[in-house]
Amino acid sequence: MSTSTSATHAHKAEIFCKDESRVDWHSKALWMLREKRDRAAGSLPEWEQLRQIGSEMKLHTLTHLGQYLEEFEQNCHKNNIKVHWAKDGAEHNRIVHEILAEHNVKKLVKSKSMLTEECHMNPYLEQRGIEVIDTDLGERIIQLAGQPPSHIVVPAIHLKKEEVGDLFHDKLGTDAGASDPLYLTRAARAHLREQFLSADAAMTGVNMAIADKGAVVVCTNEGNADMGANLPKLQLHSMGIDKIVPNIDSAAVLLRTLARNATGQPITTYSSFYRGPQEGGEMHVIIVDNGRTDMLKDKILAEALKCIRCGGCLNTCPVYRRSGGYSYNYTIPGPIGIAVGSQCDDTNSMPWACTLCGSCSYVCPTKVPLDKIIHHHRRLKAEAGKLPYGKASYMPLVGKFMASETALNCSMSVARMALKILPGSLLKPFSGAWGKYRELPVAPNSSFEAWFKKNRG
Amino acid sequence: MSSKHDILNALKSAAIAPQAMPVIKVAPRIDDLVGQFEASLNTVAGTLHREGGLAKLQAQVDEQIAQGMQIISMLDGIKGNREVTDTAHQLRDIDYAVIPGDLGVAENGAIWVNNKNLGHRVTPFICENLFLVLEAKTIVANMHQAASKLTLDSGEFGTFIAGPSKTADIEQALVVGAHGACSLNVYLV
Repeated sequence: MSTSTSATHAHKAEIFCKDESRVDWHSKALWMLREKRDRAAGSLPEWEQLRQIGSEMKLHTLTHLGQYLEEFEQNCHKNNIKVHWAKDGAEHNRIVHEILAEHNVKKLVKSKSMLTEECHMNPYLEQRGIEVIDTDLGERIIQLAGQPPSHIVVPAIHLKKEEVGDLFHDKLGTDAGASDPLYLTRAARAHLREQFLSADAAMTGVNMAIADKGAVVVCTNEGNADMGANLPKLQLHSMGIDKIVPNIDSAAVLLRTLARNATGQPITTYSSFYRGPQEGGEMHVIIVDNGRTDMLKDKILAEALKCIRCGGCLNTCPVYRRSGGYSYNYTIPGPIGIAVGSQCDDTNSMPWACTLCGSCSYVCPTKVPLDKIIHHHRRLKAEAGKLPYGKASYMPLVGKFMASETALNCSMSVARMALKILPGSLLKPFSGAWGKYRELPVAPNSSFEAWFKKNRG
Repeated sequence: MSSKHDILNALKSAAIAPQAMPVIKVAPRIDDLVGQFEASLNTVAGTLHREGGLAKLQAQVDEQIAQGMQIISMLDGIKGNREVTDTAHQLRDIDYAVIPGDLGVAENGAIWVNNKNLGHRVTPFICENLFLVLEAKTIVANMHQAASKLTLDSGEFGTFIAGPSKTADIEQALVVGAHGACSLNVYLV
């Protein structure tokens, strides 16, 4: 399955929704994460204070980004870390390839990095003869299946254990029909250990980059980033410019909320701080813009860069849970995907993959105003004359209609009457896509206006 | 250099007005730090041994050696049967590693480990099982206190370890033992 941009979100969601039991299962699995998150957040009396500090700290950093990036680079140099700057994904990939080619790297072990996904780095390197092994179990599963991630924290959440079993039987030689997660995980452990031990270089994403230390922080539960980075002599870390924090104290704030908001754990199993290469080794950090400075030019979009990629907004989103990660026309799905990826969606449908319920904004550990940003994207699309599938032609009419009291009152009383006396089968076709998976509403006896005049007027 | 220049230049037209850095002052929960630490360690699938200290650990190590296990000890006072190898890769068959922790965090059960005590950086990850040793007096309440105490000199590597390696990538079923250590026992001294 690819993230081709030829179909709208609604169309791709429809494909996912064909298997109703899978949709229920998907929704429940993610809601379980949301419940764990609620328990973890509820157990800390200072949770709301941490969100507030996290938000203000990220805003402070984003508004002093140039200063912190330069400070970070200088301190990296003192720690013998090489720093590279990339304007976009293409430059990022070119830099990575140059470093790897210089060291004659044939096999690269990679731990989860949504940035390298955003840059489409794997195919770029593979075309140049470098084998790229994703080492996070979920990432490895979808890599073997030839799929992109469908979630930013649990990338294979859309697959059932039987499907993983079949895939591993095919690719890793596990027993046919085996679907026990423990057995399959152990098989992956053995397979990936061989990859770690034979890799020429390792690459990881960056959860936080600490400006005043010149250090990067990488968080995983599996330890794959550390098994990777600490075996071969060459380690690379890719980071967006938004990953900078001023100091260790600020990193500590985010370390308290990241895992709690993602999976409900008090902290990830490993939170590793790299402040220089291992003895005799080399450490490179690639700082990537790829559209982030453009987002900073818009006051509302800029706040999306406070995101720490916990995935909490995906888990709570009623649309994501029922439409799956592949229905969004961007590498990152869900509310945060809409916020940071709407410009890349040529069907212009992503900002409408949202009910504006605001649940994402309420769970966000750094208070990214996601619903506000998504709403803003709708405005930007309208202003650019890029409203999707007919919205451009009928929305102005809807606006005129709703602005006229007479027209609205008249047609509403007709609608109430029709709902009462006409059979549903006759009315349903008029409700369009809205009515496809919904029952028609029960008509109230009178308009709210009439009720108000009678009872409160 | 030109990309760096371009990025820094583009940042000059950022739209939000400069915001002040907030004061990070969060009240720590300081009652029964060891008890809190033990409860947190349990939730991340680790085990705390409160009594017995190094003697209990050495007995455990001896028992494992008697069963033919390969044990490397990075702690003075605990004797294993393997030495630090020339290359990190040669640690691939280590069954147990004994490593001193620098500080523990009560709120999440994490223990800070510094590469000064690791031989090779990969030691706590490549071993099949991990024994960490922690002085009770080094346990702090939360990550804010930990941040103010942790040492990370230029060129170093350090990591907070909270339990054994784990994953839930297959149908959200928690499996302990992904790439790193499959079990974690912490001995309090």
